[in-house]
Amino acid sequence: MIAEETLVQELKSKESQAKAFEVLVNTYKERLYWHIRRIVLDHDDADDVLQNTFIKVYRNIDGFKGDSKLYSWMYRIATNESLTFLKQKSKKMGIGDQELKERMVENLQADVYFEGDEIQLKLQKALATLPDKQKLVFNMKYFQEMKYEDISEVLETSVGALKASYHLATKKIEAYLRAD
Amino acid sequence: MKKNNENKFNTPEGYFESFHDRLMDRIQKEEGGTGSSIPNTDGFTVPGNYFEEVVPTILSKTTAEGGKVIPLGSRRNFYYAAAAIAAIFLLVFGINWKTETTPLGFDDLASAEIDAYFENHEIGLSSYEIAEAIPLEDIQLNDVLAEDLTNDILWEYLEDNMEDIEDLHLENEEHE
Repeated sequence: MIAEETLVQELKSKESQAKAFEVLVNTYKERLYWHIRRIVLDHDDADDVLQNTFIKVYRNIDGFKGDSKLYSWMYRIATNESLTFLKQKSKKMGIGDQELKERMVENLQADVYFEGDEIQLKLQKALATLPDKQKLVFNMKYFQEMKYEDISEVLETSVGALKASYHLATKKIEAYLRAD
Repeated sequence: MKKNNENKFNTPEGYFESFHDRLMDRIQKEEGGTGSSIPNTDGFTVPGNYFEEVVPTILSKTTAEGGKVIPLGSRRNFYYAAAAIAAIFLLVFGINWKTETTPLGFDDLASAEIDAYFENHEIGLSSYEIAEAIPLEDIQLNDVLAEDLTNDILWEYLEDNMEDIEDLHLENEEHE
């Protein structure tokens, strides 16, 4: 916690900003990448969103008040950037949100950076049927193994509601995977 | 009488030694809450040195180009001015626009909303009040009956139930 406070102070100081930002990028690049990748699915899209996320963090670090953890704040930016990216993408393609999700999963079969087998592809199809919030909660809990308290800070949702969302998501995914 | 304390039950070999591990596996499985049908990994990969290469890319767009980053604070006055102009436009056009709009009426309600309202609210209306509220001018009796009510049936009913059919004043023009 102290280390995080120090890092924030260094990020806000002109003299130490560049070095501190490099530390920040190196510390969080992988975690944020995987969080974004599980939302946008495609590697190139995830790369774009990851860069946008860090640029936004850099430009707005002075506005970071420290009400939440730096880590949660960056996750929140990454989540919003990813969802906005998908909205813009569907608008550009002239299709609805659900159709975009289905196309994204279809594209995975030809994606060189997706090495999933049949069941992993089916998992993505199942995830595409979930509402955004349930999908986010599932990915953050199941694959990123985040604590409910941390997810609660990122998504600004109560722990109880998150547990309910996670429970519902797993039930729906299991049912989807079991079905034919 | 001597109590027999000898234990006649056996356990499989290594049962107690492996108990802790098996218990922890089960707890982990149940706390995970996902059963075994959901795979543990999702199959996504990244190009070889992606995480090493992405750092200089991000830094080149941020710290290396520090001069290009325009803090939001310096534009604060511009935003205030823009917001003030927008507010004036909204106020001026909002008032005019509002007066030209037609008020929402009963016909604007979706049937489903009306159905839901009647289902979810207790309506303490008498049949007289309902009849008063619902315009019946354009509704014929046969519109609400399962079978058409012919004149013959009507006459038959009236003859059976009226003491004096003349009370109806069917030909009486005083009621016109």
